[in-house]
Amino acid sequence: MSTFFLTIGLGLCVLVFCVLYRVVFGPGVFNRIAALSAIGTKTLIILLIMGFIYGRVEMFVDISMVYALLNFIGVLAAAKFLGIETEL
Amino acid sequence: MIRSSENIIIRTVSRVLIPFIQIFAFYVIAHGHYSPGGGFQGGVILGASLVLLLITYGPQETRRHISEKSLIVFSSLGVLIYSGIGLICLLLLGNYLDYGELSGLLHVAPAKARSLGILGVEIGVGFTVMAIMFSIFFDISSGGEPPADEKK
Repeated sequence: MSTFFLTIGLGLCVLVFCVLYRVVFGPGVFNRIAALSAIGTKTLIILLIMGFIYGRVEMFVDISMVYALLNFIGVLAAAKFLGIETEL
Repeated sequence: MIRSSENIIIRTVSRVLIPFIQIFAFYVIAHGHYSPGGGFQGGVILGASLVLLLITYGPQETRRHISEKSLIVFSSLGVLIYSGIGLICLLLLGNYLDYGELSGLLHVAPAKARSLGILGVEIGVGFTVMAIMFSIFFDISSGGEPPADEKK
C-alpha cells in the first residue's frame, strides 16, 4: 500500500513541475495566480499522502488544513495586490 | 492602502470562513502538546484570519472589530502571561518556567500542573503572535499613516 501512495505522490510532484512552467512563463498575471493556486492544492494532497506513508494521517490533516487556509488567503492577497479582482 | 472588496463571493466566503479559522486556531493552541502546533502556530492562524478580514472588508471595518490600541494591549498581555507564569514558578522556589511548582497553587498533581502551565504559556504566546503579526500587516498596508479620526 505504501508503494501505491509513493507512486501517486511522485506523480503529483511531476505534475507540480508541469504547473510551475505556467507560473514562470505563463502569459499574464491571471495564469500565474491560477497556477500558484493549483500548486497549493497539489501540495495539500502530497502532504496527506505523506501522512498515509508515515501512518500518522491524523497529524498531517491538521497541517494540510492550515496549508489550505493560508493558500486561500495568499491567493486572495496576491489578487488584491495586483488589482485584478474586478476583472474576475 | 487597501480598499474593501466589492465582490460578493469573496465577502460571503470570508464572512463564513473567518469564525471557523479562529476556532481552528484555538484548537491548534489548546491541542499543541499532542499534535503539531502550539502557541506560535495558533497565533499565526489567528493573525491570518484578521488579515483576511482586512483584505476583504477594508481598514475601517477592521478597526471597528479590533483597534490598534487593543492590538498593543494584546501583545503586551501575552508577554505578561508568559513571564508572569515564569515568575510565579520562580516565587514558589522553583526554576523559571518550572511548572511542577504550580501544583501547590492549583491544588492538582504535578503532572497536571505541568500540562496546565504549558497551556497558559502557549495562550500567552498566541496572543502576542496574533497581535504582532496583524499589526505588522496593518502598518505596512496603511503606509504607517494614523486613521483619519486620530490625525489631529
